[in-house]
Amino acid sequence: MGFWGFAAGLTLCVIGQAVLLPSLGAGALRPDCFLLLVCLLTVRLGPEAATLQGFLIGLCQDALSGGPLGLRAFAYSLLGFAIARLSRNVYTDKPFAQFCFLLGGTTLTGLLTLGLVAFFLEMPPLLPTLLWVIVPEGLVTATFGLLVLWLLRLPQQMTQTR
Amino acid sequence: MSPFFRLLARYRRGVVLTTTLIVAFLLLSLQVRHERTVVTAVRQALLTVLSPPITIAALAVQGVRDVWTGYIDLRAIRQENLRLKGEVAVLKRRIDQLAEQALETQRLQRLLALHQAAPVSLISARVIGKDATNWFKTVLLDRGSADGVRRNLPVVTPDGLVGRVVEVTPTASKVQLLTDPVSAAGGLLQRTRVTGIVVGSFAVGARVRYLPLMADVGVGDEVVTSGMGGVFPKGIPIGRITAVERKSGALFQEATLQPAVNFSRLEEAMVLMDPAPREGFEAEGW
Repeated sequence: MGFWGFAAGLTLCVIGQAVLLPSLGAGALRPDCFLLLVCLLTVRLGPEAATLQGFLIGLCQDALSGGPLGLRAFAYSLLGFAIARLSRNVYTDKPFAQFCFLLGGTTLTGLLTLGLVAFFLEMPPLLPTLLWVIVPEGLVTATFGLLVLWLLRLPQQMTQTR
Repeated sequence: MSPFFRLLARYRRGVVLTTTLIVAFLLLSLQVRHERTVVTAVRQALLTVLSPPITIAALAVQGVRDVWTGYIDLRAIRQENLRLKGEVAVLKRRIDQLAEQALETQRLQRLLALHQAAPVSLISARVIGKDATNWFKTVLLDRGSADGVRRNLPVVTPDGLVGRVVEVTPTASKVQLLTDPVSAAGGLLQRTRVTGIVVGSFAVGARVRYLPLMADVGVGDEVVTSGMGGVFPKGIPIGRITAVERKSGALFQEATLQPAVNFSRLEEAMVLMDPAPREGFEAEGW
């Protein structure tokens, strides 16, 4: 996937996160499209490109959010790097395993973000943040991610069926 | 290639990761207390790049939402329209009922006024049936001998003469209308005091017969009961002359009469219980 693919994915992600999901009524439990984009794009990239793309995606999310610039960029750089390094060893087509990986990635990113917020800004209350932000966001994002993966595979499956 | 770049190439993964993390860390550090100019510039540049697709998508979503909302509104309006139509139908029915009640109240008020003004005792009765054939003109009242109704008692409305009781049962009585072909009542032209006999007619409702040939009879003359014949008290309005016929060679002239009572809309009537006083109706009740 070249630059234009990345740009298109990022644009879709921006639109989905900033416009579509809020207009569909997704409230506090909105899936993190940027995180999903990082997972989807970096799974087939080398660690360097994955790190850079994760950084850029995080930077864009930071620019659209009310948090400090660099918060998600930091987390997604690490996530992209980790996915790129691990993807060849743990690649799977099984939905449950994909769900678990997505949930794990989301939760780890959430914990990293929590640490950065605690370091640079102020320590938020740990348990409520875990219970009401990190875990629910992880579950919703993982579920939504499975749906996206299924939709992406759908044309291929239909072609094979024919 | 210098050793530095060789080293970079060898450890490029770590270098890239470390660099991005350092950049991100620096960006975060610059915002700990106050947002610096460089961070603001980066944020604004990113927003400038990202905002056009957001704006376009938001417009598209708004358009879709408007269309959808319009569709939903249309459906809601349609349902509301149906509901309101139902309500209108119910309300129309209610209005009709109220109008009917108002008319009935008016009629009953007039009957009551007549009852209070008439010099004889009256009982009010409701028309519960009409003649089953087209040959006779009778109606059935819901008062009978149990209420004191007897044969040949006059039946009136505030408008005028209806007819006379011809049959009585304990709970109902049959009234021969003025327009019945075999009914007859003594009539008196109010203006000229000429007397005649008012008889029913299939064709024109009622006619006044046996009017003297030379008598002054004109269209529009009011006809009231003459009191002769012993059934109807004097002075009850019967109707108005609508046409006068003078046949050559005939001994009397005849007139067509428009009854004062609209028999097709007769719903209540009053039976004169004591028609003994023959005088006074002209002045009192009608």
